[in-house]
Amino acid sequence: MKLKIPGVPSPTRLRRYAPGQPLVDGPVLVGGAPGGKLRDPICEILGRAGASVGESPSAVAEPSRWSAIIFDATGITDIAGLLALHAFTAPAFRNLRPSGRLIVLGTPPEDCPQPKAAAAQRALDGFIRSAGKEARLGSTANLIDIAGGAEDAIESTLRFFLSGRSAYISGQVIRLTPATPMPTPDWDHPLRDRVAVVTGAARGIGAAIAETLSRDGAQVIVLDVPAQGAALAEVANSVGAIAFQIDITAEDAPARLATYLKDRYGAVDVFVHNAGITRDRSLVNMPAEQWSSVLAVNLGAQLRINEALLDQNVLRPGGRVICISSTSGIAGNRGQTNYAASKAGIIGMVQALAPVMAKGDMTINAVAPGFIETAMTKAMPFATREIGRRINSLNQGGLPVDVAETVAWLGQPGTAGVNGQVIRVCGQSILGA
Amino acid sequence: MTVQLDHRPGLGRLYAKAVATARSRRGDQLPETSVEMADVTIDREQLASYAEVCGFRHSDVLPPTYPHVLAFPLAMTLMVDPSFPFPLPGLVHVANRITQQRTLRADERLTLRVRATDLRPHPRGRQFDMTIEATVAGEPVWAETSTYLRRERPRSSRSAKDPSPQPGEGQGGGIAPTAIWRVPRNIGRRYAAVSGDINPIHLNPLVARLFGFRRAIAHGMWLKARCLAALEGRLPHVLTAEVEFKSPVLLPSTVGFSSQLKGSTWAIAVFQRSSGRPHLNGSIEA
Amino acid sequence: MADLRPAAIMGGNRIPFARANGPYARASNQDMLTAALDGLVARFGLQNARLGEVAAGAVLKHSRDFNLTREAVLGARLSPWTPAYDVQQACGTGLETTIHVANKIALGQIESGIAAGVDTASDAPIAVNEDLRRVLLQVNRAKSLPQRLALLRKLRPTQVIPETPRNAEPRTGMSMGEHAAITAREWGITREEQDQFAVSSHLHLAAAWKRGFFDDLVTPYLGLQQDQNMRPDASMESLARLKPVFGKDGTATMTAGNSTPLSDGASAVLLSTDEWANERRLPILTHLIDAETAAVDYVHGGEGLLMAPVYAVPRLLERNKLALQDFDFYEIHEAFASTVLATLKAWEDPSYCKEHLGLSKPLGPIDRARLNVNGSSLAVGHPFAATGGRIVTTLAKLLAQKGSGRGLISICAAGGQGVVAILEAA
Repeated sequence: MKLKIPGVPSPTRLRRYAPGQPLVDGPVLVGGAPGGKLRDPICEILGRAGASVGESPSAVAEPSRWSAIIFDATGITDIAGLLALHAFTAPAFRNLRPSGRLIVLGTPPEDCPQPKAAAAQRALDGFIRSAGKEARLGSTANLIDIAGGAEDAIESTLRFFLSGRSAYISGQVIRLTPATPMPTPDWDHPLRDRVAVVTGAARGIGAAIAETLSRDGAQVIVLDVPAQGAALAEVANSVGAIAFQIDITAEDAPARLATYLKDRYGAVDVFVHNAGITRDRSLVNMPAEQWSSVLAVNLGAQLRINEALLDQNVLRPGGRVICISSTSGIAGNRGQTNYAASKAGIIGMVQALAPVMAKGDMTINAVAPGFIETAMTKAMPFATREIGRRINSLNQGGLPVDVAETVAWLGQPGTAGVNGQVIRVCGQSILGA
Repeated sequence: MTVQLDHRPGLGRLYAKAVATARSRRGDQLPETSVEMADVTIDREQLASYAEVCGFRHSDVLPPTYPHVLAFPLAMTLMVDPSFPFPLPGLVHVANRITQQRTLRADERLTLRVRATDLRPHPRGRQFDMTIEATVAGEPVWAETSTYLRRERPRSSRSAKDPSPQPGEGQGGGIAPTAIWRVPRNIGRRYAAVSGDINPIHLNPLVARLFGFRRAIAHGMWLKARCLAALEGRLPHVLTAEVEFKSPVLLPSTVGFSSQLKGSTWAIAVFQRSSGRPHLNGSIEA
Repeated sequence: MADLRPAAIMGGNRIPFARANGPYARASNQDMLTAALDGLVARFGLQNARLGEVAAGAVLKHSRDFNLTREAVLGARLSPWTPAYDVQQACGTGLETTIHVANKIALGQIESGIAAGVDTASDAPIAVNEDLRRVLLQVNRAKSLPQRLALLRKLRPTQVIPETPRNAEPRTGMSMGEHAAITAREWGITREEQDQFAVSSHLHLAAAWKRGFFDDLVTPYLGLQQDQNMRPDASMESLARLKPVFGKDGTATMTAGNSTPLSDGASAVLLSTDEWANERRLPILTHLIDAETAAVDYVHGGEGLLMAPVYAVPRLLERNKLALQDFDFYEIHEAFASTVLATLKAWEDPSYCKEHLGLSKPLGPIDRARLNVNGSSLAVGHPFAATGGRIVTTLAKLLAQKGSGRGLISICAAGGQGVVAILEAA
């Protein structure tokens, strides 16, 4: 009856966002290589957010000093320039507070005509991924590549990566492309007056997304299959959302959904494709219906709904479509040929639709969760699950809210420069890295 | 060390063990053990009975106090472990804090983990916390800390003589009740039946007398559940409900209940109707 | 007084209807009504909204539920500042509450409201034996202890046996089924006709569920996701096997299959002015145009207990200058298959229409293809006061899907009453 197992040490508790929380929990060290032009805008953003700014890494050597280190590397054009990065970050990195942030701003290597500049910029990539692995106590390291002309669109992204909202994202490279962000009058409620739709919202990650979008000010419509209606109504009433029971795989679902949204809201601003199922089997044992049902729910429905959203102008200018993919879709996973195919397919769809969306001042992105503690991961065998939890830089599984925060950031009116990308929320898992 | 239970232990045996081993228990350390049970499913019939006794309505969601009942056999398992220093009879439940990260549903499977922590002195003896954590598929959704007192010294003379409310103690005194509850004689037996907590001081006036109560007393967790039920439809889905049990509710009793919303926090109190002497003081925060 | 403005119906919500002593056996009227309200709140985003009023009721009601609707509102996610009251008109309750709320909206007294109904045959009130009740009341009035003891000594063991509610008319002692059986015989409604009608109710309901018609009308409750009584495989053969339960042997035609089962459930309808709906961008499905209630003397007057709608409809048609054939949908509550069939026959019968309804010519037949197109009480079940709300939302959605036209609702009720109404597509 009783099985005694040895205890496992508990991982660092990550700093996660709560309403009213300041952007950072201590001073921010800001530096840059010569030629970078972002220090002033960064300091302005930090000033608006009420964060105090330090500029000299060696001024204080006390541990747990910096809540974040931001380095503007956009001006680096050769190997020598990289030395400044080392000189600035090396002494300060050890003084990061728990759940601290190392954020490096770079220039996309492909935008650098000179090979030596492209090499130096690409070097940042390896640097940040390694720093992510060296970071301790819940700290993260991320690189934001800013294309020429995108300098005005950094605020929502910088705030996101500084804050507790990005707790489970590390070792990632985000690309900002030129775009005109819409203003965000209230950074405590960046989604105020926006209408957002979340599929698969009765439980787990979907419910967390609904709650987070609602917390950030959006009017949320939550969708799930009628059979989940009781849980869906509970979610809706808990977070002040509206419940719409619909089987998104039904033949007439895209049309019904489009009609419903246009009738009720005229148009919507944010559409989150979260609904997904798993039917795990090894390839040789997988019946066709398990293959088909996973592709139909996870991918087919998204394609058909996106088509309806665009054809019938259901999305307003500034619209955001966010599709939940998975690291399984990037790295593959045993027993998940169907699931991984569907989740990789989402990435293909996002990349193909991004230029189309950009024409209408809209964006589409994928969020690829790694090991998130949900009912779906519960279905995994014990060893696989425990390994999944541990083989990442933060040494723990993420929570549904970590995915939700990422979705909310991509849904913001200010996040216009992020388009066609796959944002991994995986704690820098080694899978598919 | 973790003790993993694969099914709910029978409470009868645990009680027998608790009584049999009561005299031999001593020590100044709590066991490091935690007792865990995975994939606990909700029996809707049992849930319906619990809801009826506590005043919750039948629905697809769990009352915030319900996981306490689910975890009760685990707590018992820990407390009858040979390494547990205190005899179960005579422990006094003095405080309880429940934190819920989201609404729990009746169709979810909970993993429950119980530990005993933080042994510390109390003016009248020693106290410690029993903590319960509930996760759904790894996601922490619910946690509870129950503080128990092991009385080892008599009441100080002042409080022994003076049963009337202390100045500034509790919100009960002087506050007009929001509601008057008539707590029936059989509520101890009824709650025992739905919770498994068959401590005889709740069931039998004679046994209650042995422990210094004039009559049988209501379960503290029933009283807390009754308070939350009184706020049906008003409670946020993310909440921390913290109460102190100030004095037992003798059965039967007529008590006053008060609730006041300040900002997003409910202040709640249950007190003796005649004297205003507090039974329970607490708060529920979003 | 403001100009009359027909009330808009935006939609509704119900929990799946369950058979008595099934999944809702432990749920009270208040539990189910609150669940139905909370589902409606979720569907229309009414969290903490203060509405003009909530009117609801139950037929089988505990004495402690004297303020059932208000109690449900206080427990639901609506604003607790929303007033509420109970209405009871037997099986007409659900439609009668809709009419109440709609009338207040039409008169400009309220802007929005919810009409609802609930019933449980599982958690039915059990009353103290009438003799015991009298003795206890006397004991309560007695002045001294000896007097009290003397009264209590009068009690006999049989007087302590409680009384369960009987589905019988107080003035005739006959159950509703027995009454309906008389009417069925009078109108010559055959067993085969009734069974055929019941089969189509089940098949229509099953088809509607399958096409997702109820996706935005029903919220699951206590694990039940669809109407429990529904038999998608119902057939003449399966119904033919059932033995008659009402009426005399030999001529009896009414079985459990062509009568409604005892059921548990709750339903709610959201109504408002056009302006209130438009401000919130809630699409209006239909307007409630007019309603009529009639009663018949089934005790001494020689009319069938459930025939009152037969009288109500012609009055309603006359007032609205409509013919019985001017409707796109008919929703006639299926208390018993025979009731619907007798109602239709009566409207087709020239001499009955002349003598009883005072009409120069019969109302005539209706297009059966427009009758109860998504099934009705025989298949869904019939938690008495919840049926009206179910029918109103079903018809409202049918009309909205069609995009035009009007529908007629007809509900018979105990006590020889009938409630009927007209909805028109918005």
